[in-house]
Amino acid sequence: MNLVRLRNFAAHKPVRVALFFLVFGFLVSFPFWASRYWVDVGFYVGLYALLGLGLNVILGEVGLFNLGHAAFWAIGAYTTAILNVRFGLPTLALLPISALVAAGCAWLVSSPIIHLRGDYLCIVTIALGEIVRLVLINNPGGLTGGPNGVVGIARPAFLGHVIRTPMDFYFLVWAVVAVCALALRQLQRSRIGRAWNYIREDEIAAESMGVDVRALKLLAFVLGAALAGLAGNIFAAKMRMVSPDSFTFMESCLMFCIVLLGGMGSVPGTIVGAALVVLFPEVFRPVAQYRLLFFGLALAATMYFRPGGLWPRRRAVEFLVERPGR
Amino acid sequence: MRAFICGLVLVAVSAWAQPILIGFQGPLTGPWAVEGDWALKSVQIAVEIVNARGGILGRPIQLVVEDDGGTPKGGTLAAQKLIAAGVKFVVGTYGSMVCMPSSELYEEEGVLHINYGCTRVDLSARGFGYYFRTSGRDDSQARFFVEYVIPLFGAKRIAVMHDNTAYALGVAEDVLRYLKPLLDAGEVQLVYYDAIMPGERDHTPALTALRDANPDIWYYTGYYPEWALLLRQGKDLGLDWKKIKAVGSNACPISETVKIAGLDAVVGAMITQEPLPAFLVEKYPLAKEFVAAYEAKFGPIHDSPWATYAADAIFTLAFAIEATKSLDPAVVARYLRSGKVVGEGITGPLSFSPEGDRLGVPYMLLICDEKGESARFDPAVHGHLVGL
Amino acid sequence: MLTFVQQLLNGLTIGSFYAFVALGYSLIYAILKLINFAHGDLFGLGAYLGYTVFVYASGVVGRTLGLWGLLPMGFAAAALGTACAGLVIERVAYRPIYPIGRLPAVVSALGMAIFLSNFIMAVWGPRYLAYQESFIPTGFWQIGEFKIRVLQVLILVSSLVLLGVLYFVVERTTFGAAVRAVALDRETAALMGIDFLKVIRFAFAVGPALGAIAGVFVGMYYRQINFTMGWVYGLKAFTATILGGIGNIPGAMVGGILLGLLEALTAGYISAAWKDVFVFAALMLLLIFRPTGLLGEKVAEKV
Repeated sequence: MNLVRLRNFAAHKPVRVALFFLVFGFLVSFPFWASRYWVDVGFYVGLYALLGLGLNVILGEVGLFNLGHAAFWAIGAYTTAILNVRFGLPTLALLPISALVAAGCAWLVSSPIIHLRGDYLCIVTIALGEIVRLVLINNPGGLTGGPNGVVGIARPAFLGHVIRTPMDFYFLVWAVVAVCALALRQLQRSRIGRAWNYIREDEIAAESMGVDVRALKLLAFVLGAALAGLAGNIFAAKMRMVSPDSFTFMESCLMFCIVLLGGMGSVPGTIVGAALVVLFPEVFRPVAQYRLLFFGLALAATMYFRPGGLWPRRRAVEFLVERPGR
Repeated sequence: MRAFICGLVLVAVSAWAQPILIGFQGPLTGPWAVEGDWALKSVQIAVEIVNARGGILGRPIQLVVEDDGGTPKGGTLAAQKLIAAGVKFVVGTYGSMVCMPSSELYEEEGVLHINYGCTRVDLSARGFGYYFRTSGRDDSQARFFVEYVIPLFGAKRIAVMHDNTAYALGVAEDVLRYLKPLLDAGEVQLVYYDAIMPGERDHTPALTALRDANPDIWYYTGYYPEWALLLRQGKDLGLDWKKIKAVGSNACPISETVKIAGLDAVVGAMITQEPLPAFLVEKYPLAKEFVAAYEAKFGPIHDSPWATYAADAIFTLAFAIEATKSLDPAVVARYLRSGKVVGEGITGPLSFSPEGDRLGVPYMLLICDEKGESARFDPAVHGHLVGL
Repeated sequence: MLTFVQQLLNGLTIGSFYAFVALGYSLIYAILKLINFAHGDLFGLGAYLGYTVFVYASGVVGRTLGLWGLLPMGFAAAALGTACAGLVIERVAYRPIYPIGRLPAVVSALGMAIFLSNFIMAVWGPRYLAYQESFIPTGFWQIGEFKIRVLQVLILVSSLVLLGVLYFVVERTTFGAAVRAVALDRETAALMGIDFLKVIRFAFAVGPALGAIAGVFVGMYYRQINFTMGWVYGLKAFTATILGGIGNIPGAMVGGILLGLLEALTAGYISAAWKDVFVFAALMLLLIFRPTGLLGEKVAEKV
């Protein structure tokens, strides 16, 4: 159909380069002409894109149902908050540390459950998300501040420049998104990426071909969690406080929707999905009380009209043939 | 006739004058949508009252309403939206954790922010210049409970239960802090201290544990949906409010509680509460006007103190801007911080400490009487309800 | 001892609610392999429909037939209304999507869950609504110090009866055989001449209806309902479903009851605040050692 033709057209190198510069130019110039409210909305699109990219590795590339991704986000945010407020470590320097801690936690908890299949894995990740949130609320050892959370996180500073305005945060988050997106695209085309997709399409066949399914699944989990940890650090720095009510099951569900709305395993798709999930309730602000009602309908409608997502991953086959009837 | 012409002129002037934008930020969706709804309605009534009197500096107020969904993230977006709309004065919001990041944005942009439903103590300890609140703080309520309510009943065995939300934990911890000297002196005993989960419906297990602890007085800090369930299920378990004095905190309005729990379970239960509109009408003329206008437009008045404080935030702004003749938030903020009484609102004289806290928030001990109505606790009248 | 028995009874009652909702989850999962996230909110819708019927009918019906005439009416109306809602959702939001894949259907289900709870808020308002005393059976039996409420017995008995009926229909009737066949392999069943749309419609009518009955019971038992209640119960019921073994009807029942007991006992003897942490940790542990739940069969995922 036309869409395929359009996509084949977009696959031409000059078109792609032009498209890339158009989007790049838009993203870079955006904060200079948009109001600070829209810049903040842009920041949240970036933040959710980062979270979505993380979940995309787990759900999109490997096909592991993870409905508890907010747990790793929370771990990253709390790592930043506690280390900064208690020990005075600079917030920006905690960016990699938050990612590492989140990744470490992911490795610890996912090792025993990684063998679970489909929906059983799904419920375990839900349970995991809830456990993390409840533990944060219950304030073990006075570490997490309970429902009050941790407040007073210092503003991050980059080479002496204090990151404080919406524009600063916008560029911070999109810089991280850009780096991660490029790295993930490279990974997709590598041996690891192909093995991941193999597992997603047919786990048993992959295993019988000598793919180390367990190790690769764990790697996906750890990598996805690390990206969520990055998002946690940026979120904590932006809000200058963390509290458990930011990391609910609903947030995990939204991330899940981001990946599927965008298209499983598609990096640009995930960013489009994040934009949809963040923008939709904002656009519908004038009907304040009903905006989530429309949001729910929009989720279902998108899946109805574009079941493969808004920007599905290109498969090699589609370059060759225009499939009839689709 | 002259009054009529004056009125016409006033209307004409206010119709011509450029409106003053005042922002309202509140939870219109999400789990606290009820409070957001009440607060918005109250604020609308307050604006109508001010506008009917000729507005501020001869200019009408125009509300700009933004929903924050009751989440910190929603709070920052709503705040940015208000700031981008050019609002210089904001009334909002409900929930300390939502307030914290948004108030930071208002502070940075020099937007005067009056808070109506956040009682967390350290909100005003951040050295902000534009932050105010018309509500009280957790610690004043906790102190009221320890220093007034406990001696009133001569209670020795104390039970404290909270619901693991920021507000409830704050009050509960402050109760412990004020209780500590008494505990150390061995005058009272803390026999029960635990949390329940908000949103949970079955509290019988926790209540069974409470019953076994056998307290004289039981203070629940939390919100009314759980409080109503606790009272109902406690009654069904055979707990007796004559033996265990049940006291709720100020997010447990009695009328809502009775509606959910049934009158038989709530009779004799008490709450520590800021004065409600129903008690204020006798004392303050503005309260009377406000309640009449509210009931004419939206039906029976709510009994949430927070929504009333939201309306008072509008009046505070109106008084302060009128007094300073300035629309510069910095000037108005400096004036508010002076500690002067800026005017008499619905909840009494409005004055603020240099940190932005409301001064002189009174508390009352209310009891649910046999008719299911809130009454100010009077041992002579209600003693039999609590086994005195 | 008294406390312990009391906690057990509490646990059984909570467990019955979970079991009710879990049955619907399990039935739909068995047939479509779809986690119907909207199920919890259909349960909430049932509670609101029951409330509305009680409020409007309590005058006339309450006077002529009394409480025990009013109750069946409320339950029937809630169950019917919610079954219709379930069918509509299936037709509009799932049927066009699930042939394509399970994951898009999950997103659609999440969308429906968000839609339904906000729809309830839009129609009935954000306030907590209270089931009034006049439409709740309030009697109880006193055995020594021990108190059993009529309502509790009603809940327990009806959950057992409805489970029995459902089990009988699915395991012993011809139509039940069709249901099981579709659950096993939809395409082959269709080739054998089974109208699988009929089976799907059955699941989407019976599941939500059971949820609605639970919703009305929850309203009567706790006397309050609000528009977010479905989400919490949905999550807990889903946990119960997995605990028992997904797609397994007695499993859903066992999972629900077990979850209720676990909650009551940890809340009573350890800490109410840590209750859900223990419940979820127990679930994780169980799945680590029995990856398909308590009564779940060992089935290799289709290759």
